[in-house]
Amino acid sequence: MTNDTFYGYHPLVNMLYFTVVLLFAMFFTHPVCLAVSLICAFSYSVYLGGKKTLKFNLKYMLPMLIFAALLNPAFNHQGGTILTYLPSGNPLTLESILYGIAAAVMLITVIAWFSCFNEIMTSDKFVYLFGRVIPALSLILSMALRFVPRFISQIKVISNAQKCVGRDVSNGSIFSRAKNGIKILSIMVTWALENAIETADSMKGRGYGLPGRSAFSIFRFDKRDAIALIYIVICAAYILLGSITGGLEWRYFPTTQGTWTRSSADGVLPGLFIFLTYFALCAMPLILNVKEDLKWRTLNNSGLKI
Amino acid sequence: MKRIVFAFFSVFLLLMACQAQEIDTVNEFANAEIPVEQDKYQTDPIPAGKPAPVEPQDATINDGSFAVSLLVECKVLIDNLEKLDKNKRELVPADGVIFPATNVTVYEGESVFNVLQREMKRAKIHFEFVNTPIYNSAYIEGINNLYEFDAGELSGWLYKVNDWFPNYGCSRYQLKPGDVVEWIFTCDLGRDVGGGAVGGEQREE
Repeated sequence: MTNDTFYGYHPLVNMLYFTVVLLFAMFFTHPVCLAVSLICAFSYSVYLGGKKTLKFNLKYMLPMLIFAALLNPAFNHQGGTILTYLPSGNPLTLESILYGIAAAVMLITVIAWFSCFNEIMTSDKFVYLFGRVIPALSLILSMALRFVPRFISQIKVISNAQKCVGRDVSNGSIFSRAKNGIKILSIMVTWALENAIETADSMKGRGYGLPGRSAFSIFRFDKRDAIALIYIVICAAYILLGSITGGLEWRYFPTTQGTWTRSSADGVLPGLFIFLTYFALCAMPLILNVKEDLKWRTLNNSGLKI
Repeated sequence: MKRIVFAFFSVFLLLMACQAQEIDTVNEFANAEIPVEQDKYQTDPIPAGKPAPVEPQDATINDGSFAVSLLVECKVLIDNLEKLDKNKRELVPADGVIFPATNVTVYEGESVFNVLQREMKRAKIHFEFVNTPIYNSAYIEGINNLYEFDAGELSGWLYKVNDWFPNYGCSRYQLKPGDVVEWIFTCDLGRDVGGGAVGGEQREE
């Protein structure tokens, strides 16, 4: 994903952005916040992953959203607006449906943000950031995150090797298949344990965690990183301040209401600015990318041929 | 060598003996604590002169009807508004009465729960219950969006028939003509609404 502009920013900027955006996505329940976060997370993950992600989102996320939204009214009967009564005798309320949708949207949004996080925060960035502060934990984390894909690729290698000596799981009686499968698994576990120790020894041999050690990738903290960092901090601070002062207030029970539905004296403006800032924060990587794409196109059009 | 083995063996025996004794004492305590005559739905003996529970699966509902008085109130919340969830304060009526004392129709064989459910539906008042098989009764979780535990961990809905808080669930209380049924919200397991706690462990039903 090296042609993503945000990917090229300093790991500190990436990390701060995802921390802030994920926390906000998990804690803000105002429908406008949820919608803003969902739209940004969805479009950024599609921008990063292309058609594959779009397909995945439509195939798995959409049914999950519908399922989670339907599940809530089946168990939760709170709310002031009774639509009808369920066969069990308890009421079906509008509020429980709305809350179900909100919770489902939040779930999807957080998953989408994490898929972006995985693309952007590669393990070298993670180790670069935390290698000095918490060396052991960051090594374990980056190894654990790599574990599943590595395990899968290694199991293919082993089962192919076993196939060559006629001990594969694809033929033979059920008993011999199971025996071969267990053998492959046993080889796999041995390999994984040995490999983990080897990695740890090798990292130690190279002085991992000692002061003055350099990282695999070199990141420079440029002026644009500073600008991005300040931008994130200012946006986050403004949104936090707004939420503390009650600008993002929302409740689902017993009746749905909050900022923009209450006929309070503060009117439309305060909420609007917070929502706009929230959008500006969530859409930052997309804005950066679009800006870069536009620049690229203008340069191309102005006769610079590559 | 032999002596060591013997020492170990005697220590082992001693430990076994202690453990056996411990088990015995535990059993004695357990036996002492079980009350004598609970019915199979864990109901303590019914006080003299009060109606015995009628299991809802045994009750036959006939066409004959009569009237009982039904009231749903949460007056105790007026003085305990600060205990209540901030968003739910608006749900407490000024006089604390959610459903004023009304004469409602009951069909022969119906329980307090049947009547409450029908009348709440008719009056379009929100209400939620859950069936609890061990007590063989419905448990009223919330009326008018005021739920159990909304005003502290000892709060919830209690019912009272003819000024008595029955010690069994509302699905098992069969109504008779002229009964006065009251549903009352408590913040203190019934102690703040005039008793209710039988033997200190009244269940909110």
